[in-house]
Amino acid sequence: MVSKKLHQDQIYIEGLLNNNSSIIETIYKKFAPKVINHIKMNSGNADEEQDVIQEVLIAIYNQAKTKGLALTCPFDAYFFLLCKRKWLNELKKSSNKEVTIKDENVSIDKDVEKLAMETEVQDEKQLLFDEMFQKLGEKCQEVLKLSFITKTMEEVAAKMNVTYAYVRKKKSICTGQLTELIQQSKRYSSLKY
Amino acid sequence: MQEELFISFENYLNNEMSLDERNIFENQLQNDSKLREQFELFKETNQFLELKFSKESIDFKENLKKISSNHFSKKTNTKPKVISIQSKWFSIAALLVVFMGIWFLSNPGNPSYLEYNQHENANFVERSENNQNVVEAQNYFNAKQYKKANEAFAKIELNGKTDVQLFYAISLIETNQFDDANALLQDISKGESVYVNDAFWYLALASLKQKKYVECKKYVTKITDDSEKYNKAQILLNDLD
Repeated sequence: MVSKKLHQDQIYIEGLLNNNSSIIETIYKKFAPKVINHIKMNSGNADEEQDVIQEVLIAIYNQAKTKGLALTCPFDAYFFLLCKRKWLNELKKSSNKEVTIKDENVSIDKDVEKLAMETEVQDEKQLLFDEMFQKLGEKCQEVLKLSFITKTMEEVAAKMNVTYAYVRKKKSICTGQLTELIQQSKRYSSLKY
Repeated sequence: MQEELFISFENYLNNEMSLDERNIFENQLQNDSKLREQFELFKETNQFLELKFSKESIDFKENLKKISSNHFSKKTNTKPKVISIQSKWFSIAALLVVFMGIWFLSNPGNPSYLEYNQHENANFVERSENNQNVVEAQNYFNAKQYKKANEAFAKIELNGKTDVQLFYAISLIETNQFDDANALLQDISKGESVYVNDAFWYLALASLKQKKYVECKKYVTKITDDSEKYNKAQILLNDLD
């Protein structure tokens, strides 16, 4: 397959990846108002607007970080679609809120749709992983956390006052347990592609 | 058994297998789809943990949070800058915008130019050099006699009078002389005056009047959020979507 041309808006993705404050501020300035307006018009409040935008930007960051997101469409379209769908999901989740967004018959660009879908799947996975991590035993959580925030496994062993061999083994087993929890969850099968 | 498997996954990922062990493991992976799936998930889980605890992503989230709350608190705390419109008139204009918004919501379908053409009065005479044409243009414009206003505007040397140029363009839109209006507005939009956002707004309205919705949207999205046209622009944008 011929790889599609990168859109010039890739600068926003790079900006997120590099934690570039001025680009992140630009994203808020340029692209958030449309989202805010959409959520406001569909029974959302300021806190909810803020949350949706923040969560979507984290999802984009994660996607770029793990899958190397290459933007082939305008950032605006991609970002707005993600926010719109996230808000729709929020509305559906809270049963006390009526879902008033009408099904618009606007055709969405294929590239936008595809990129948004991939990002959503990855985001869902991320949420599932997070939830399952909380189900791990305390010791496992600690070993895993330390293994990833500490430079070497030797240091982890020293911090936990155990041997290097033990930490290595424990880390493998805890990661494995986490994969088992994920596999057992109902949501996992729907997220496989 | 499972534990052994997890340890071998970890060893493989960390490049801690001998060449022989490696070959055997890769062979198994190739021939056993269930094993392959387990291994892929293990790899993905590792990646997830790395992302969850990496300093970079924690820093990113913190920074994002800060920028986000800054952005939202600024939005609620700052009042839009009002330039030279008396506050009474401004309130009336604001009320109009609100009513228009409500009216739109209850009226599905494409927006129309008539919903947006409540223009401000022209008020550029006091600082102009007592030019008869300027006085005339202003009076006709404010009286909504756009044809006559156009005739007066046409006699004015526009150089350096961006506000006059803007009102001339509005007047031309009213009389459906879109090409001439566009030329004047494009000129303003490329400059650096305080009227750049107004130019985009009226370029959008000219497109709207011609039912060129895509073009209209293109111009509306160029209006920046520090403009007093911004609220109206958002309403229009929402209606166009």
